[in-house]
Amino acid sequence: MTNQRSGLLAKLGIRPNEIALVIAIVAIIGVTLVADTNRSYWFQWDTNTIEIGRQTALLGIFALGAMMVIVSGGIDLSSGSMIAFSGTVIACSMIYLQYGPLGTYLFPMVVDAAGKSIPTDIGKAGLFVQSLVVIVSIAMGLISGFFVGTLHAWLITSIRLPPFVATLSTLVGLRSMARILCEYTTSTYQSSKKAQVNIDHPFFTWLRDSKHVYLWVAVFMVLATITLLILNRTVLGRHIYALGGNEQAAKLSGIRTDRLKWFAYVFGAMTASLASVFYLANEGVCAPVNQGRGHELNAIAAAVVGGCSLQGGIGTVTGTILGALFLRIVIDSVSKIIKSGADIWEGLIVGIVVVLAVTFSQLQQLRGSGRRLFPGALGVCAMITLSLFAGLIAMSTRGEKQAVITVVTVLVGLFVYGLTEKQKARG
Amino acid sequence: MANTIVSLRKIGKTFPGVRALSDVSFDITQGELHAICGENGAGKSTLMKILSGVINDYDGELHVSGQLAQFRSTRDAESASISIIHQELNLVEQLSVAANIFLGRELRSSMGLRSDRLMDLAAKKLLNDLETDIDPRVLAGSLRVGDQQLVEIAKALSLKSQILIMDEPTSALTESEVARLYRVISKLRERGATILYISHKMDEVFQLSNRITVLRDGCFIRTLETTETNANEITKWMVGRELESLELGERSAPGEVILEVKNLSLVWPGHARGYRLKDISFHLRRGEVLGIAGLMGAGRTELMECLFGASEHPVQGTMLLKGKPYVLSHPADACQAGIALVTEDRKRLGIFPAMNVGQNISICSLEETLSAGLLSRKLERDASSGMVSKLQVKTAGLESAITSLSGGNQQKCIVGRWLLTQPKILLLDDPTRGVDVGAKSELYRLINRLCQDGLGVIVTSSELPELLTLSDRILVLSEGRITAEFTREEATQEKIMHAATK
Repeated sequence: MTNQRSGLLAKLGIRPNEIALVIAIVAIIGVTLVADTNRSYWFQWDTNTIEIGRQTALLGIFALGAMMVIVSGGIDLSSGSMIAFSGTVIACSMIYLQYGPLGTYLFPMVVDAAGKSIPTDIGKAGLFVQSLVVIVSIAMGLISGFFVGTLHAWLITSIRLPPFVATLSTLVGLRSMARILCEYTTSTYQSSKKAQVNIDHPFFTWLRDSKHVYLWVAVFMVLATITLLILNRTVLGRHIYALGGNEQAAKLSGIRTDRLKWFAYVFGAMTASLASVFYLANEGVCAPVNQGRGHELNAIAAAVVGGCSLQGGIGTVTGTILGALFLRIVIDSVSKIIKSGADIWEGLIVGIVVVLAVTFSQLQQLRGSGRRLFPGALGVCAMITLSLFAGLIAMSTRGEKQAVITVVTVLVGLFVYGLTEKQKARG
Repeated sequence: MANTIVSLRKIGKTFPGVRALSDVSFDITQGELHAICGENGAGKSTLMKILSGVINDYDGELHVSGQLAQFRSTRDAESASISIIHQELNLVEQLSVAANIFLGRELRSSMGLRSDRLMDLAAKKLLNDLETDIDPRVLAGSLRVGDQQLVEIAKALSLKSQILIMDEPTSALTESEVARLYRVISKLRERGATILYISHKMDEVFQLSNRITVLRDGCFIRTLETTETNANEITKWMVGRELESLELGERSAPGEVILEVKNLSLVWPGHARGYRLKDISFHLRRGEVLGIAGLMGAGRTELMECLFGASEHPVQGTMLLKGKPYVLSHPADACQAGIALVTEDRKRLGIFPAMNVGQNISICSLEETLSAGLLSRKLERDASSGMVSKLQVKTAGLESAITSLSGGNQQKCIVGRWLLTQPKILLLDDPTRGVDVGAKSELYRLINRLCQDGLGVIVTSSELPELLTLSDRILVLSEGRITAEFTREEATQEKIMHAATK
């Protein structure tokens, strides 16, 4: 969709920001090889590849959905809660099918005499029924995605809520619904009310096995191919770009924009449903309280880092895949270098990467306009904020003395920069 | 003669590609009501923007009270005691009336804190002077348009402005509000205020003004004493624009009626008039160009939107397409029925800036370029490049950015977009706006050719010569109603302008 394509790369349909991302990914791997004292990327390259592949697929699947919504000119803030909701629907469907009244009638062979657990030796018929339980449950999860996406589209097109408000309300509402559903199902069909459900179905244990990570990546790749096909080779896809680029003009071109939005939001929610299957496998538990919490922002970040414009109309599948991979590698690399849990650093890294990525894409404009980065009192306070944050990071990794040194160094550096900027603006 | 308060010397202004004003020189006398008349695009608004400091890079000199004025902002103009009452009112609807009047110059109490009480009192006094009992504490957005206008005038009074510019102040007012405005105006004049009054309503201009200045095509035509002239003479000066000599050749006689509109009306909730369009009836034949004339706000664009199923509110009345009634609930229905609309505001409603030239042309006819259910790059390229060569679009290639094209070539792309849908009826809403002269005549020839191919074309334009060149028949709209219909032979600029200012 961009216009600056030229030469060979243009013919291959590769965009400059995608090349930049590939270079950045390679650079980060290189830095980690040097800076990580355990040389983990060198000695345990196989387990690292598997882990990054798993994490990238986990994020990428619903990042593609976020991208679709963003390209259509909207935003979906609810995908983290959608993952929890769909995961709960799947888990509760399995409980119901196995232990509910329908289950004991339809699938008597999976329930033992006490009606509590599944016998280990179940035979061929039992295996068939067990597969059926998983397939039906996952289908229920995907259907819940369809309905939530429909709800979004209805709120946005018929009630005329801004997408931000519509999906913000489901962001908080769906998680609550998931908890209600979980407590109801466990108290009704199992011994007691529970806030979370262990996923011990053999399918999920099988999926969790690192030998089967190729399947995660394969599902991600198949979904990416389908998305690519929709966006680049169908009328629907072109109309989505048109809708995101100029909604009024799209409508006046005879495009039924409301239907397109319906598709985009359903696609967004259903990819989150699909991701929820892998979340259940990955964590071995259905925990509506915190599963996928905050992950909607990671998906949006992956799309934005991959070149999506939040104004709509611009964004690609390749970019989003690279964006997701980039985010996961940065998070992994930092945890390797600092040698603490990746989860602590995740939010900070996503935040920094998004700011840098968007700043990068606007750098040309910033330079051209002659605007100052640190103007006046606002600029001075921003300098202090930045140096304090730098100090906080230094304190946690190096100690308090280094933290003070860091604060002073960063502050002086920024101050000198601010002064030169001021001089330039005058001259 | 009394003192000159504002003196314009060779004022000129060029926008990219358009000369909006050139060499405008005239004087405004202290205490007079000076009316400015001119057609759409004559340069009235540009001139007022210069006077009120909105535009600050222009040629020529502006003297206010004998001093050279160089306004860098509206605030500079205000301190030189010039205020403008915009046609589109400029109030912050979520703030109270008093807060609006003192916006940016908030009164403070002795403590140095903002004092709403002082402002309420002061605002009340200003509003009382204007004979209104508007409560200064209510939100500006909750007032009727006429009252909002009085708030703007009160604001100008609070600035102690000596010179007041009113840009078509009666366009949204009811009759009683107009009468009240007239009383306010005479009151202002008793205090010695000078008023610049922009309007195209002849009766108003003649009732209120001392002198009338006519602008045309950005040029000063003349200033007349109101007592020494009449409406016909002013209309004549307004339209005395040169016809571009362009012979389009003979057209074959129009064919059967393809579109008939009966008693079409469109409501306008919350407006004094109550309707945007009222009792519109007309028909369109195959191979005919129907022109729709009207001043800004007469309802031309709204009519086009009704015919295309794109209007905001449900349309009343009947539309017959080839004798069969049809209802449009979405532009997609219109496309299906073979109707195409080239919109007036190309940038906002026409082009897709993130897409290239080829994609902009093919967007409406992608179903034709499918092979095995998927878009075929080759078929799409063939269709687009066919249009590029047929319409002689000047572009570096289909892959170029649409925004890199000139206005005229962008417009050709959009016309091409619709021609690919093979429409029966083509609606062109001011198709040559912002298009240079060369591309204009190419568009004229294209419209002529399409018409010979049997399309029915409805075209609106803010330029009368254009309508006279293109149209077989011309309908004139004024304030949402059809006030006249002329055949090609009957129509003259004077007659049309007379009907449009009725």
